[in-house]
Amino acid sequence: MAFDPTRGLPEAPLSWGDTRWNKTGSWRHMRPEVRERAAPCAKACPLGNPIPDVMTAVSRGDLEGAARLLLERNPFPSITGRVCPHPCEVGCNRRRYDEPLAIRSVERLVGDWAHEHRTVFSPRETGKRVAIVGSGPAGLAAASFLRRQGHRVVVYDRNDRVGGMLVDAIPSYRLPRSMVEREARALEEMGVVFQLGVTVGRDVSVEQLLVSYDAVLVATGAHGERTMGIPGEEHFIGGLAFLRSVRRGQRKPPGRRVAVVGGGNVAIDVARTLVRLGAQPVVLYRRTRKEMPAIEEEVERAEADGVEFQFLTLPVAARKLDGYLRLTVVRMQLGERDRTGRPRPVPIPGSEFALECDAAIRAIGEVAETDFLPREVLDDQGWVVADKVTGATQRKGLFVAGDLVTGPATVVEAIAAGLRAGRAMDRFVRGEPLPVQEKPLPTVPLKEINLAYFPQAARVPIPELPLSTRSRTFDEEILGLDVESARREAGRCFSCGSCNLCANCWIFCPDAAIHLDGDLPRVDLEYCKGCGLCAAECPRGVITMKEELAREEVVA
Amino acid sequence: MVTVSATKVITGNHAVSYGALLSRVQVISAYPITPQTQVVELLSEFVASGRLAARFITVESEHSAMAACIGAASVGARTFTATSSQGLALMHEMLHWASGARLPIVMANINRALAPPWSIWTDQTDSLAQRDTGWMQVYVETSQEALDSIILGFKVSERVLLPTMVVLDAFLLSHTAEPVEIYDQGRVDEFLPPFSAPYRLSPGVPQALGGLADPGVYFEFRVKLQEAMERAQEAIVEEGERFGRLFGRFYGLVHEEHTEDAETVIVAAGTMAGTARAAVRELRSKGRKVGLVRIRVFRPFPFSEVRRILEGRRRVAVLDRNLSPGHHGIFYEEVKSALYPVSARPLVVGYVLGLGGRDVRPEDIQAIVDDVEKREEAPEIVWWGVRR
Repeated sequence: MAFDPTRGLPEAPLSWGDTRWNKTGSWRHMRPEVRERAAPCAKACPLGNPIPDVMTAVSRGDLEGAARLLLERNPFPSITGRVCPHPCEVGCNRRRYDEPLAIRSVERLVGDWAHEHRTVFSPRETGKRVAIVGSGPAGLAAASFLRRQGHRVVVYDRNDRVGGMLVDAIPSYRLPRSMVEREARALEEMGVVFQLGVTVGRDVSVEQLLVSYDAVLVATGAHGERTMGIPGEEHFIGGLAFLRSVRRGQRKPPGRRVAVVGGGNVAIDVARTLVRLGAQPVVLYRRTRKEMPAIEEEVERAEADGVEFQFLTLPVAARKLDGYLRLTVVRMQLGERDRTGRPRPVPIPGSEFALECDAAIRAIGEVAETDFLPREVLDDQGWVVADKVTGATQRKGLFVAGDLVTGPATVVEAIAAGLRAGRAMDRFVRGEPLPVQEKPLPTVPLKEINLAYFPQAARVPIPELPLSTRSRTFDEEILGLDVESARREAGRCFSCGSCNLCANCWIFCPDAAIHLDGDLPRVDLEYCKGCGLCAAECPRGVITMKEELAREEVVA
Repeated sequence: MVTVSATKVITGNHAVSYGALLSRVQVISAYPITPQTQVVELLSEFVASGRLAARFITVESEHSAMAACIGAASVGARTFTATSSQGLALMHEMLHWASGARLPIVMANINRALAPPWSIWTDQTDSLAQRDTGWMQVYVETSQEALDSIILGFKVSERVLLPTMVVLDAFLLSHTAEPVEIYDQGRVDEFLPPFSAPYRLSPGVPQALGGLADPGVYFEFRVKLQEAMERAQEAIVEEGERFGRLFGRFYGLVHEEHTEDAETVIVAAGTMAGTARAAVRELRSKGRKVGLVRIRVFRPFPFSEVRRILEGRRRVAVLDRNLSPGHHGIFYEEVKSALYPVSARPLVVGYVLGLGGRDVRPEDIQAIVDDVEKREEAPEIVWWGVRR
């Protein structure tokens, strides 16, 4: 205080002075560290979407800001907002508190908003040219990224439409075709050129592309269908071929009662599509429900559609009889675990039984076709060999991404792979070193969330077509949230590890040592006495206390 | 002067309420506790009915009650509260703040024994335990004195900028009804005009009250506090005199009776002084040379009065309805300490009696006089009326 006893003091200690002379920072032995960490949702997301920041923006009604943040990591949020198996919601800390946030539905709203409010983006041209083979999610993601960097992008596809599996496999009740068409339109408006109906390897070779372009990305997916190698195999319809025919207008089922063999996403898509065509599918899967590789939510929806499942069964022969098929099916039991950690299915001797049906569809897995690629990028088995981070192959300028490399995976994984390859190609054509694996940020566990600030609240109900009608139509079955519901839902986000400038630290700091003058709170160490209130009161684990070096250690 | 006063038969608690009403307090903040509750209950009715233009702030604890009073007083409001026992103990931290910030808050404390074991009956230890908090303490004997001491409390507090605690015995005074004169408001206003605080916080003038003081400054503020206490002695005497001239009742630091030629003097405070008065009068009628000193003001301690009255007496019996465990009765300590510099020191014996509201009758005090007159030296403590 600004007092001088030698000049007389007031009766009461009332003063104009402040206490800035008292630098309480010297009392400290712990210091607050303001450090953003990864939210478990973002960590679980193959794209690393900045979910907490997007949720903060949505909760504040700032859809433009949310779209900008989201599009930085994910070029197609209105697609992933529909078909992503949302590992983010599995990671969500709220799952272990009440219910996970409906992240996918909010993402869908932001993605749709972005399309409705889209402006054409004109990048500064670099003059570099890249070719992308395959217009599936991996190829489109790379195209989007590379075009935004200013490179000329030409996308080749043997198909006559853009989208790959997005338009030829994933049924329209999950992803309407218009959703993909508008992405293609947006890319075209941005300057991406599509060369459709061109089969690379037949009409033009990879070698020729490597000559004409500064870099080439091959992202042709996995379209080869595995076969079972059983007598009567020729009577089975391929699952992907069936889905493609339906997406191209076929509305007549191959029969009334149809056996579907397999337990992956294609098998489930086939079964649910059959229901919508008026057929009665029965899914034959050689393991149990628990081991099914299909997206859990889709399996549940198939059950709700009335799809019949026969687990632990495997067809071993098929015979065409008078107007119908007779499958010989053997019952299985689970044996020891195989390399993937799943129990191996083992036939039970003498358990064969006959299953009669009008048609059978085989969906036991897809493989990549690689024979059009240069030998030097393949291994002995014909698999593509590439860097996991960049997609770069042994061949300079040739990059690969997506199901072609990994085998069948999800749309979001393909987009992520396309973006990784796109970033690497951008560096490559600029003559810069390729990116290396980034060290992941540590995540914030639930126990570091200050739950006192978060009353329990139920997850928003997601609207969808009524059960009674949805299994008879190819209309999109899950519907979008309205803005108000999305705002409320986004408001449930803990924003784990991501500061949203809630100002709690500023409010609680007894030394006025927190300053909110940037993106993150700033601690004035001249005055912070290390009490730890800011860390305790940070609702989201952004501030942690760190022991400072003891004086002796500093001297030593 | 036209006198429009009324005499009502009211309890000590309600006399306090009327004292606050007549003082035109502006802010009251309190938390209920037996045996105090009636004080603020009646005040809340005065406020609710519009008879008293004050803000009544309800809070969740006594600590907050005093904090609210401090806030109000810091902006210059005339501020009042009342409490008892555990509630006063809970206020302890804030009591230091009120005096250190030099806020003239007036509080009534109804003496009640501290728990455990639980007790709601009278005992002075609660208020005496706050003796070092920088509050003036006034121990009253009657309901009328309770009312008068609230008005006087504001008068003196606002003059020296120190808070005042007016202390009443539980039930013996708080819940006992007796005739009390309630003065005409105009006369009280004449004695106690509106308070104009010389130091106060104001939104337009943003200053710090009680902010951090470095070691080069704090010491001097404590000296100022002590000097204010010393000035308060003078203020209490002067304002008591002035009050007496206006209202006919005179109050000082100590009140004495039959001390002119007394060889044995009883020292007491609160209602026990009334009991002792009866005993002393009875003994005087039998020709015994016994006198009474009632210590009315405990802080600031009336050293010179105590020395003047007790020097040269043969024996002094100090009655304590309180105990400082490990030491003595607290009035006994203080009286002995005051007498140390005098040359003709009496034999001073400390009697601890009536703890937790146990009855003390005039016969007990007569017996104490007999007891002390037989003694040639003083034990550390004489327990009076202990059952064992």
